[in-house]
Amino acid sequence: MIANWTNLLPLGIVLSSLLPGLLIFTLREEQTRLRIALNLFGVMLKLGLVGLMLWGVAQGLEFRFSLPFLPGGDLVLQGDALSLQFVSLSTVLWLATTIYAIGYLEDAPLRSRFFGYFSLCVSATVGLALAGNLVTFLLFYELLTLATFPLVVHRGTPQALRAGRIYLTYTLGGGALLLMGVALLHSLTGSPEFSAGGYLQPLLETRSVSLTLAFALMIAGLGVKAALLPLHGWLPQAMVAPAPVSALLHAVAVVKAGAFGIVRVVYDVYGVEPVQALGLHLPLLALAAATITYGSLKALQQQELKKRLAYSTVSQVSYITLGVALMGPIAAVGALAHLVHQGLMKVTLFYCAGNFAETLGVHRIREMDGIGQRMPLTMTAFTLAALGMIGVPPTAGFISKWYLGLGALESGWPIILLVLVISGLLNAAYFLPLIYRGWFAAPKTEWPAGKAAHAGRPGWRETHWMLLAPTLFTAVLALLAGILAGTGFSPLGWSELIINREFGL
Amino acid sequence: MTLALASLLLPLGTALLMLALRLRSGNWVIVASLGSLLCAGLALNQVLDQGLQTLVIGGWRTPLGIRFELSTLTALLLIFTAMTHLLVAIYAQYSRHSQTRDTDYWPLSSLLHASLAALWLSRDLFNWYVTLELLGLVAVAMIILSGPKAYAPALRYLLLSLAASLCYLLGVALLYGRYGVLDLDLLAQASQADHSTRMALLLMTVGLMLKAALWPLHLWLPAAHSSAPTAVSALLSALVVKGPLFILWLLWSRVAPLEMTESAGLLFALAGIVALLSGGWAALRTPLLKRLVAYSTVAQLGYALLALGLLLRWQQSELSVALWLFVLAHGLAKVSMFLAAGEMQATLGSRRVASLKGATQTMPVAMFAFAVAGGSLIGLPPSGGFVAKWVLLQPLLAEPIHWPWALGVLIGTLASAAYVFRVVALSFDRAEATPPNFNPDPFAQWLALLPAIAVWGLALFSQPLIRWLTEASG
Repeated sequence: MIANWTNLLPLGIVLSSLLPGLLIFTLREEQTRLRIALNLFGVMLKLGLVGLMLWGVAQGLEFRFSLPFLPGGDLVLQGDALSLQFVSLSTVLWLATTIYAIGYLEDAPLRSRFFGYFSLCVSATVGLALAGNLVTFLLFYELLTLATFPLVVHRGTPQALRAGRIYLTYTLGGGALLLMGVALLHSLTGSPEFSAGGYLQPLLETRSVSLTLAFALMIAGLGVKAALLPLHGWLPQAMVAPAPVSALLHAVAVVKAGAFGIVRVVYDVYGVEPVQALGLHLPLLALAAATITYGSLKALQQQELKKRLAYSTVSQVSYITLGVALMGPIAAVGALAHLVHQGLMKVTLFYCAGNFAETLGVHRIREMDGIGQRMPLTMTAFTLAALGMIGVPPTAGFISKWYLGLGALESGWPIILLVLVISGLLNAAYFLPLIYRGWFAAPKTEWPAGKAAHAGRPGWRETHWMLLAPTLFTAVLALLAGILAGTGFSPLGWSELIINREFGL
Repeated sequence: MTLALASLLLPLGTALLMLALRLRSGNWVIVASLGSLLCAGLALNQVLDQGLQTLVIGGWRTPLGIRFELSTLTALLLIFTAMTHLLVAIYAQYSRHSQTRDTDYWPLSSLLHASLAALWLSRDLFNWYVTLELLGLVAVAMIILSGPKAYAPALRYLLLSLAASLCYLLGVALLYGRYGVLDLDLLAQASQADHSTRMALLLMTVGLMLKAALWPLHLWLPAAHSSAPTAVSALLSALVVKGPLFILWLLWSRVAPLEMTESAGLLFALAGIVALLSGGWAALRTPLLKRLVAYSTVAQLGYALLALGLLLRWQQSELSVALWLFVLAHGLAKVSMFLAAGEMQATLGSRRVASLKGATQTMPVAMFAFAVAGGSLIGLPPSGGFVAKWVLLQPLLAEPIHWPWALGVLIGTLASAAYVFRVVALSFDRAEATPPNFNPDPFAQWLALLPAIAVWGLALFSQPLIRWLTEASG
C-alpha cells in the first residue's frame, strides 16, 4: 500500500478523536483547561479532515485505507458518499455536544473519564460510518457498545447501573447475533467491500436459506441499536445518562449506527433486487411500520420529558428503516435525508430538555408550564424542533415525510401513507401540548434561583452560554436543512446523490 | 533446533542452580525467561526459514531413542510460555502485593517452564509422561506456597493428578505392549482400531482430560487455581492446563484410527458445549473473584474442546488453527485477569466479587485490564479471542447442517459476556465504593494491563498467525 494522503485520511478521521480521547483518560481531574483544549483540538481537527474529505470526494478522489485482518476480510476504511453523510452529521454534532457537555458537566466529578469515553464513542461512530466491509463494520459496532456503556452508568447510581445492565444485555446480545450473521456471510463469500447493488447476487439461487438466515440475524443485531420493535427496551432506560449522552449517543450515534447498518446491509451487501427476490423487505417493512406507531403511542403515555423524547426516537428512527424497506429510490432518499434531519431535530430537543433540567430542575412535563417566559430562546428552539418532528412545512421533518410518502406511493404501498398520517397525528398529539404548556400556560410556582453559573434573566443569559449556543446552533441547522432542501448541498440533495449511485439512476 | 533446546535448558539450568545454591532471587528468573524468550523467538524464525526440525537425542534413532520436534506451533508455544513466565516473574518480583517474593516460587516456576518446554518439544509418549508428572508435582508445590488454607485443594489436586498420571501411564503401557513403539509418528503409522488401542486411548484420554480440567473432569480446578498465590494462578490457568491438551490433540489427530475419531469427536464437542455452559453458569454464581476467573478457565477450555471435537469429527485441519488460537488468546487474557484480580483483591482487602464496587474509580488501571481481557474472552472484535472464534465459526456456518454447533458458540459467547460484565458493571457502582485499604500499586496494575493489550494486538497479527498455524497443522 502506498502511504498516500488519500489512503491515510480515513484513518486520520478516526484517530483525530481516538488519540485525544486516550490522552484525556490520563489527565487528572483538575486539569480542566488542558482537557478542554484537547477536546476542542480533536473536534476541530476532525472537522477539518472531514471537510477535506468532502472536498476530495467532490473532486472525484478515492479514499481508502486497509490493513490485513482476517482471511478474506481486511480492515477497510473508506469514504464514499453514504459514509460521508453520517460522518459529517456525527462530526458537526460532536462539536456542538462537546461544547454543551463542557458547560453541562462544569464542576461535576469524573470528567476525564466522561470525556475520554465520549471521544471513544465518537471514534467508534465515525469508524462505523467509514467501514468499507462487514467485518470492519462489526468491529466498530461492538466498540461503540463498549464505549457507550460507561457513559450510561456514568452517574453510578443504582438506577443508572440497572439501566446499564439492561443496555448491555440488549446490545451485547444484538452484537452476538450480528457477529453470527456476518460470519455466516463471510463463510460463503468472504467479506468483500461494500458496493452499490450488493455482492450476493451470484449466491441467490443456491444459498437462499443461508442468505435469509444471515439477513434475519443481521437485522436482529442491528435492530437492537436501531430500536426496532421487540428490541427497543434499552433506549428509554438509557435516558438516566447525563443529557449530552442522551443527546448525542441515544438520539444520534447509537440508534443511527443501527439504522445506518440496515441501510448498508440492504443496499450495499444484498442489493435491492436480491432482497426483493427473497421477500426479505416485507417483514422489515411491517416491523418498521409497527415500531413507528408503537413508539408514538408509548410517547404519548410518558410523563417525563426525556422518556417521551426517547419513545419519540424509537418511532422516528424507524422512518429510516421504513424508507429502506420500501425498496424504491424516492423512499430511500427520504430515509437518508431523515437520518440527518432526525439527528438535528432530536439532538436539539435533548439539549432543550437538558437546559430545562439543569437550569430550572424541570424533568416532568407537568412542570413545563410557562417555561417559555423564563427561557424563551430554549423554548423557541424546542418549538422549532418539535414542529419539525411533527412534519409541519417547511421544516426538515416535512421534507423527509414528504419523500417517504411519495416513495410509498411509488412502490405501491398506499397503506404506508396511513401509517405516516397516524404517526404524524400522534406526533402532534404528544408535542403540541408541550409547546402549548411552554408558551401559554401560567407557571404554577416561582422558578428556583438555580445554580450560580446557570441562573440569569430570560434571553441570552437565560442559562449558561455553553448550553444555549449549541441548542440554537442545531435548531438553526435543522431549520436550514428544511428551507434549503432544494439546494445541492443540503442533506436532501446529498441523499439524492447517494441514491442515484445506489440505484444506478 | 539448538535455539529451541536453549529455550528449554535456560530455565532448567536456572532451576537447578537456584536449588543447589539456595538462591531465591527473582532477578535470575527474569533474566533466564528473557533469554528463553529470545531463543524461542529465534527458533520460530529458524522454523519459518527452514521448515520442520527434528533432533534425535544422544544420536539414538527411533524407535530406540527419543525424538524432539520443532514445528511452527511448538515454536509459538515456546514463545508464549517464555513470555508468560517473564511477565509473571516481573510481577512476582516487583509487585508490592506479591506473596511469592523470596520463596521457593522461583526454582519451582523455572522448573515448570522447563517441563512445559520439554512437553511442547517431545513427540514421545513416555517422555510426555515424565513431563506431565513433573508439571503436576511442581504445580501442586506452587499452590502450597500460599499457606495452610491451600493444603486441602492442593492435596486433592495432587491425588487426582497422580491418578491421572497413572491412567495415562497404563494407556502408554498398553500401546507399547501392542505396537512396541512410543514415538508418535511410528505409532501413527502402526495404529489399528482394535480393543487394546481403544482401551489405551480411553485411559490416556481420561488421564489427560483430568489433568487439563476438561469438562466433566474439571472439579478440582476452581479451588486449586483460586487458592494459589496470584502469580501461580496466572501460570496454572494460562499454561499448565494447556500441556495435557497439546498431548490430547496430537494423540487424537495423529494416532487414533479414523474409525474411532468420529464418535469420540462428537463426545468431545458435546463436552465442550456443556463446559461452556456450566463453567459460565458457575462463574456467574460464585461470590469469590478469583474463583470466578478460575471457572472462566473451565468455560473457555470448552471452546478448545469443541474445536478439537469438531476437528476429529469432520477431519478439517483448519479447526486446529482455531484450537490453538483459543489457547494463545485465552492464555494471555487469563494472565491479565488473574494479575488484575489478585491486585484488586490485595488492595481492596476482600476476596469477594462484591468488594469491587467502585473499582473503576479506586483502581482504574487494574479494572480496565480486567475488562479488556474479559473482552477477549467474550470474543469481542478486534481481540485474539474474536479471531479464534471467527476461525472456529467459519466451517460451522458454511453448511446449514452444522448450524446447531454455531448455536453452542453463540450461547458460550453470551455466557462469558454475562460473567465478565457482572464484574464490570459492579465496578461502576459509585454508591458505597470499597475504599482501597492502602496505597494501590500502579506498576503492578499496568503490568496486568500489558497482556490484555497484547491479546487485542494479536488481532492485528492474525494473518501471519493463522498462516503459521495452518502450516503446523497441515
